[in-house]
Amino acid sequence: MNILCFFLRRKFVPYLDGGLRPGQAGRLEKHLAGCRECGGLIVRIRAGHQAARRFDRLSPDASPRLPEFEEIWARRPSPSRLSPALAVPALLAVAAGLVMLVAVSSRTMTSHSREGLVASHDIQAGREFTPLAIREFAMNSRSRIVTEGFVHNVYYDEQERTLHIKLVEGLQDPEPFVICEIRDVRGLTIPQQGSRVRVYGMARFDAQPGRGWNEVNPVMNIAVLNR
Amino acid sequence: MARVVPDDPEKVLVQAARRGDEEAFREIYRTYREPVWSVVLSLVGDPLQAQDILQNVFFKAFRGLPRFRFRSALFTWIYRIARNECRNHLRKHGPSVVPLEDILGSRYEADTASVADDGSRNRRDALTGAVMQLPFKMREVVVLKYQEDLSYDEMSRILGCPSGTVASRLNRALTELETLMRPSEGTR
Ligand SMILES: [Zn+2]
Repeated sequence: MNILCFFLRRKFVPYLDGGLRPGQAGRLEKHLAGCRECGGLIVRIRAGHQAARRFDRLSPDASPRLPEFEEIWARRPSPSRLSPALAVPALLAVAAGLVMLVAVSSRTMTSHSREGLVASHDIQAGREFTPLAIREFAMNSRSRIVTEGFVHNVYYDEQERTLHIKLVEGLQDPEPFVICEIRDVRGLTIPQQGSRVRVYGMARFDAQPGRGWNEVNPVMNIAVLNR
Repeated sequence: MARVVPDDPEKVLVQAARRGDEEAFREIYRTYREPVWSVVLSLVGDPLQAQDILQNVFFKAFRGLPRFRFRSALFTWIYRIARNECRNHLRKHGPSVVPLEDILGSRYEADTASVADDGSRNRRDALTGAVMQLPFKMREVVVLKYQEDLSYDEMSRILGCPSGTVASRLNRALTELETLMRPSEGTR
């Protein structure tokens, strides 16, 4: 390959796109007719180019529900909005929160036990989930979490074709709660009402009208702690 | 007397966002959520990881907007964050090990003999599989050029390299793709 080949090869794709001026295209064609190496290369590049032109987006049928704006907005710190009167208590609260966060993080678990699994979704080895109590969802900024609670009720949403499990901290208290959404119910043994479960997945806030609740969506795995 | 030129709507939007206007952020998210999602999903392959990354991209974009200097279009800047997030994610966690069936759902035919099938759907799925097999640097140029329809200049700004480098990377990606798509070798 000489220096001319080197520079002309950068024009191959624009040439195949029809984006070269006639003079440039003519010079390239003349070179291709006389250079076996470049002539062979452009045949392969043309085949790859023609295939790649059919490359389209993986969505929408491969897409899970995309995060709502509120979920991202909620993670954004906005101390400048606080009035001076609120700022000091807020800072103290943040400091206290940080202490709690450090304590929680030190308990961060990696899911490796497959005992008691009821969902068929695999957890990728080594991926960490931050433990989060149900009452902590409101101020949570982590997305990949593991939470524990009692199954308050279970229902199947025909329209969305998802199984919803309402999880509470104590069976006597309907609040706080979190809704766990399971999209792939194949091979799923539905956990019984009242059983204690550990749920792995993505923490989200569902801001749709009539909802406005915290959820684990999608659920990546569920372990039943007592049956 | 200077003529009053109406401001570029994107500039107005970004300036409003920089003042902390929630509606402006919402509009930015609404505009770029889908395109960023498709790039991130194509780069990492796994919808769950892509969801994580999408959140981080916009979290970082919102946080970094005060430092946005209008040297590039907003989408170039956001794509650049997205691309860096994907690269860092893959560096940290390695390539996704999610089976293609999980990404493509029912569209995917596990029988690789279907590459030679007449159906355009199977050809498209084989193509998606081949693109996913490309090394990251090749995959990203294919995604940006063919999926997002970006120019060499735009790609070069997003990738932070000269357009000549983009061109030669694209050539390498396309020859690799040609090899992967050959019926006899595309199944490896
Ligand atoms: Zn040559």
